[in-house]
Amino acid sequence: MDAVIEVNDLVKEYIIVKKESGLRGSLKSLLFPKKTKFNGVNGISFSIAPGEIVGYIGPNGAGKSTTIKMLTGILHPTAGSIKVCGISPQADRKAVVRKLGVVFGQRTQLYWDLRLGESFELLRRIYQINQAEYEQNLAILTDVLKLQDFINTPVRQLSLGQRMRGDIAAAMLHSPSVLFLDEPTIGLDADAKLAIRNFIKEINRTRGVTVILTTHDLDDVEQLCSRIIVVNNGKIVEDGPIESIIHKLTPHRMLVVELQKPCADLSTPNAIVIKQEGLKIWYQFEKEAISASELIAALSQKLPIQDISVKEPNVEDAIREVYKTTSSV
Amino acid sequence: MVSSFKHYVSVASCWARLAIQRQLEYPLFLFSWLLMIPIQYFSGIWMLKIIVDRFQALNGWDFPQLTFLYGLGLISHGIFVVFFINTWSMDHMVINGGFDRLLLRPMNVFFQLVASYVNFIGLIDCIPGVIIFLYGCEIAGFEWSLVNIGKLILVLIGGILIRAALFTSLGTIAFWTKRNGSMVGFALTMLERATMYPLSMYPFFLQALFTFIIPIGFISFYPAAEFLGTDNGGLELPLSFALWTPLVGIICFLIASGIFRFGMKNYESAGS
Amino acid sequence: MLQAYWYITKMKLLTNLTYRFEVFTSVATNLILTLASVFLWQTAYKGGSGTVESLSLQDITTYTILSITISTIFVCDVQNTIYYKIREGQIVTDFYRPIPLLACYLAEDIGEMFSSLLNRALPLIVFASIFFGIPWPASIQGFLLFLPSCLLSYAILWLLSALVGLIAFWVMELGNMGNVKDSIVRVLSGSIVPLWFFPDTVQTISKFLPFQYTYQTPLGIYIGNTSISDGFTAMAVQAVWVGLLFLVLAAGWSRTKKKTLIQGG
Repeated sequence: MDAVIEVNDLVKEYIIVKKESGLRGSLKSLLFPKKTKFNGVNGISFSIAPGEIVGYIGPNGAGKSTTIKMLTGILHPTAGSIKVCGISPQADRKAVVRKLGVVFGQRTQLYWDLRLGESFELLRRIYQINQAEYEQNLAILTDVLKLQDFINTPVRQLSLGQRMRGDIAAAMLHSPSVLFLDEPTIGLDADAKLAIRNFIKEINRTRGVTVILTTHDLDDVEQLCSRIIVVNNGKIVEDGPIESIIHKLTPHRMLVVELQKPCADLSTPNAIVIKQEGLKIWYQFEKEAISASELIAALSQKLPIQDISVKEPNVEDAIREVYKTTSSV
Repeated sequence: MVSSFKHYVSVASCWARLAIQRQLEYPLFLFSWLLMIPIQYFSGIWMLKIIVDRFQALNGWDFPQLTFLYGLGLISHGIFVVFFINTWSMDHMVINGGFDRLLLRPMNVFFQLVASYVNFIGLIDCIPGVIIFLYGCEIAGFEWSLVNIGKLILVLIGGILIRAALFTSLGTIAFWTKRNGSMVGFALTMLERATMYPLSMYPFFLQALFTFIIPIGFISFYPAAEFLGTDNGGLELPLSFALWTPLVGIICFLIASGIFRFGMKNYESAGS
Repeated sequence: MLQAYWYITKMKLLTNLTYRFEVFTSVATNLILTLASVFLWQTAYKGGSGTVESLSLQDITTYTILSITISTIFVCDVQNTIYYKIREGQIVTDFYRPIPLLACYLAEDIGEMFSSLLNRALPLIVFASIFFGIPWPASIQGFLLFLPSCLLSYAILWLLSALVGLIAFWVMELGNMGNVKDSIVRVLSGSIVPLWFFPDTVQTISKFLPFQYTYQTPLGIYIGNTSISDGFTAMAVQAVWVGLLFLVLAAGWSRTKKKTLIQGG
């Protein structure tokens, strides 16, 4: 199937004015500002198929937001091409944004002093949603996001979790085919996070909405995304299914063994002891060299084992590994 | 075309309703404005009276004529403030992401910018404006004929367009600088001095500047001179200026929307 | 202790210098104001006799330039500071700081005053001098008296601002009354049109209000319209106003502080 989003060699250049410190520096930059160029996004290419949920992650300043803003037509790229649903957002912004829902977790599009429903009514008119579709969408959204308790409350009185649910509903009213979520769970409690994750899964499953998610919360990524794109310093450093990225970056697994009594010889082929604390021993091994069950079998013949557990590397370890190896600038 | 017009009208009226609701949430907040605005403008015209009484007519503009001019300038300011106040805070919208949101919606961005906040509080500016203007009409002997009323409406529309064009162009600067609050203050000062006082007080260079480059002389000065039949005492321009003002307004507005569109291409949104 | 205030002052100065664009446009704004006002006076004087109310065009030009210049230096952000701190509910935590709050706000304003002197007042005087000649004082004595009189003016203005800021403690919803005060000061201080031109009754009433002692007094001394001996008298009145306003502020401040701390904000 055709890609929903197609990005080729995307570059965004910024000019930054360097400020100097101190009184002399201030005076100097008052008269002669120092300007330098810098590529916030530096040659990014990817394509996203309909119905994917993609995690777009990277450290602060990696170029995540800049990329999202170019995809949604807010910023014009310095070079490269973007196609969203086959249209360039720079060439026909209005046509593209009709198909997009965008939520910025740190900024609301709801009117602070008005009831939540008033903002929805405005959006109904802006997107020219016909009454039947609007009512049906609102009913579904109200049901899944549990809006009924606060749809008539002024937004300034909502909790952060309620406000975020309101914002997500606002972004979905016009049935967009692509949903951009920028930090949708930031600052939320466990319940609200769960509600939002369930909602994302739900609309993805029932309506086939493509979701692009940027977040620092790797639990979000782990639970939602079939694929992640990792950026750092304006470049894509990893792109693929979560499992393969974890596997590629952290091929090691760990076996923790607790013995009944101390033993002198702990060595075993295909695994190394990396840590020992009293009767607890940590073995590191590679998935390719030996399977966990083989290792356990080998060890149990040799050692008096009390307890045993296998530690899988998680996405957090993997991502930390990526940032570490690519943040050399 | 018709459906698109309907679409915009429906959104604009919804926004207007929401704007009233939002402003009514804090009714007492109006109080300080309700005191300040009349004090500011009534004292302004009072000081003109003091000067004219102690000295002489300003370049042939006596007090009744000055009052007419002052009132005309102030009314167009007041109406402008009702409909276009968002052009003053474009820097804010750039910084807090409000502008990003406008770009994410399938409507004309400038329309959204302006229509999203109808500032009913601005009607307070119109109160001293209307009072001073009516008083000026009375003492200056303005003839309320149908033709004059028609001309007056055209002049007001043109004047508002000139103001909107000026502030839109200035606001566009915020796309680059992210900050232009002081530019707004500058333009307001300039406008007040050039539209509520006779332009002919100023040296030739400034008169030419405010006639041909930044044509704010057309907001009130030239039309007032035309209405009152005064020798304006400044630059001599041919034809009836009351009809020039809307034309100048439309031209300015088109230029400003070009500047705005150019700015949007270079827009660098703020924040992460 | 004093070091802490100096630090506040210096930080304010530094942050102000970084707003390059603001600085340029603010100079331009004040320049436009100056030009427009002087041209207005030139038109008023045109063809007429040399002096009106014993003031020549040169006198009033000097008066206008100086008036706008000192208005850029007389920074009284305290009214906005107090208003916003109350609105955001930050004032309560500020009360627990180890140094007196009002003194902090004054230190901030003085820092801004220094930066304004450099990047607002100085360029304005330079440009105005290019257009209309250097606005010399009438006499050296006048100039020497002008400086302390300005300090007293600033004290009056600052105390008035702080008092207006206090209003927000009692009637928050009214919005920022500082703007209202500013528009009254602008007229009754003689900063735009000297009160000497006003009708006699207004002049008489104004003698008993603090406003004319903020702008007209030092400027009158500067251009020599107020004689040196009258100048001393006027400065004595300024000092009385400073004392009076200070007492009112101190009383009002301690009452609001008590009220705020009891309510817990």
